[in-house]
Amino acid sequence: MTGAFLTRSVALGAAAVLSLLGGYVFLGFASTGGISPLDVLRTALVVLSGFWLVWGGAAGIIGLFVRHRASSFDAQQLPRGLTAILVPIYNEDPLVTFARVAAMNRSLRTLGIESRFHIAILSDTTALEVAAMEAVWFQQLLAEPESAGRIFYRRREQNIGKKAGNIEDFVTSSGGAYDYMLILDADSLMEGATIGEMARRMDADPDLGLLQTLPKIINARSFFGRSMQFSSAYLSPAFSRGASVLQGNEGPYWGHNAIVRVSAFAANCGLPVLSGKPPYGGHILSHDYVEAALLARGGWKVHLDPHLGGSFEEGPENLVEYAKRDRRWCQGNLQHRRLMFAPGLRLWSRFIFLQGIMAYLASPLWLVLMGVSILAAMLPEPAARPASELFIDGVWSLAAGVALLLVLPKLLILIRGVFDRENRRFGGTLRAGSSVLMEIIFSTLLAPILLMLQSRAVMQVLLGLDGGWPATKRAENHLDLRDSFANSWWIMLIGAVTMLATLVFAPKIALWVAPAMLPAVFAPVLISVSSRVAAGKKAPWFFLTASEQAPSPVIAEHRTIMAAWSTQGALEPIIMVEARRVVEQVNA
Amino acid sequence: MKYDTDLIFANALPNAPMSMPKQRLERRHTMMATLRTMLAVLPWL
Repeated sequence: MTGAFLTRSVALGAAAVLSLLGGYVFLGFASTGGISPLDVLRTALVVLSGFWLVWGGAAGIIGLFVRHRASSFDAQQLPRGLTAILVPIYNEDPLVTFARVAAMNRSLRTLGIESRFHIAILSDTTALEVAAMEAVWFQQLLAEPESAGRIFYRRREQNIGKKAGNIEDFVTSSGGAYDYMLILDADSLMEGATIGEMARRMDADPDLGLLQTLPKIINARSFFGRSMQFSSAYLSPAFSRGASVLQGNEGPYWGHNAIVRVSAFAANCGLPVLSGKPPYGGHILSHDYVEAALLARGGWKVHLDPHLGGSFEEGPENLVEYAKRDRRWCQGNLQHRRLMFAPGLRLWSRFIFLQGIMAYLASPLWLVLMGVSILAAMLPEPAARPASELFIDGVWSLAAGVALLLVLPKLLILIRGVFDRENRRFGGTLRAGSSVLMEIIFSTLLAPILLMLQSRAVMQVLLGLDGGWPATKRAENHLDLRDSFANSWWIMLIGAVTMLATLVFAPKIALWVAPAMLPAVFAPVLISVSSRVAAGKKAPWFFLTASEQAPSPVIAEHRTIMAAWSTQGALEPIIMVEARRVVEQVNA
Repeated sequence: MKYDTDLIFANALPNAPMSMPKQRLERRHTMMATLRTMLAVLPWL
């Protein structure tokens, strides 16, 4: 019996027991006039939603007790296997993206291990102007030392199968030359030491099929972006350590900042096109979850190691961009219902698919629970026995329990930070504590808005609307009030109507409905204000992160390269002439 | 043409093809279809 199995059993058991207990207390409170069908429905929703809430919190709690593991390898030791670092790109800014590649290459060169790593920029860019600029900046990249025969670029004319198809194209044409592939996103940035460590870990364990790092968000500037950046740097590691223990050898793959054994990937991860039309049929959108499940089905270990530092990405800077990305992920996860019963998958992989589906279904379930509760309060009450004191106290305890479940792991992470001195990297305990408190307040205010956005996304998918796969604009910052209103007027309307209807028809539960609906009423203001970038050079008090205080060497190198390449502004006319020439060549 | 190989900067990746067989992820017969087939052989239905 493995540790992962035991931990899973305990966590699942705790989630089941606590959610059933919550359901029992709720039923006792709700059914004062006898149990009606509405009470049964509400209780079922409380149990179901509560289960996933406890399950999510459990990962954070477990993660608190996992000790940090240091590397056992020499950072300058050459890995045995040859690794291809893959950078799939799709209409991104070539200057920023190629500067990242140069920074990673320099980081590898500093350690003297670059000979074991090739870099392949795999372009799926469809805009010809961007493609032409890619060609120009690739020439700049080739001016880097030791780049000849190590750094490659190719562009597909049709982006069949999107990112998964792009990677598959590489494997089927060049995969045989490599032992491992480090799969990145266009906005990924990794330290050479981390890349080297990952390759050596693959060397050391021939059964390891995939090793996933925890990428931390960097370069955020808006209040919203920096809150996500802080959350990914300060809070996520504990949750990921917990997830790592729970998932064991059937860990997650998040599609980037992960190394994979090429032979295992080629043999197991050829994704079919699903029968039927999108959103459920067609190409598999959230391919990473499926590839992790397929590697596990093939007997390969899939590990998540949140202890590996030096792994970065960028994130959306406002809630609207976040929601666009979430819409894609929602469709991708709901598509997994087609794959839950795929032949031969491990039971745990099926559970992970279900978890991914429930991550989105939970939102409409909470909304239904609220709607049904308002309806139940509006109906005439039967001559009822009063609810016992036990259940009245119990329902308040239930509400407090839910709040505690959401807040407790974050507070415990803060306390742990005092003892393992992690708080120092975030400006000290006072500043880290203020940031945690602000994160709790801000995420609580945004929760009802996200609830509605996710519910709309689920409804769109259930109605068969394909959202496509638009790229996230990571550098889009401020949204003025007009743009925010255009994107969220319907949330405001639903919030206002629900709040008014509750006050008029069911005033006794208005207190319960207000925390969910009042932030919705102010959605445009919240979205706009949180997308603002703080003025001044000094980092704002809240959400200070380690990477803002002391940027990792590869981040600093990227900024240096960006500054150097950007000052080649005088070359801009020459670059544009060259770009136009390349476009004409392509068109011809 | 699959790639932009005509471009002056094109730097060829290693030519080392690997097969990547498509995996079977959908069951050929759903539970309902199997049930229908089973019931269809019963003469009194």
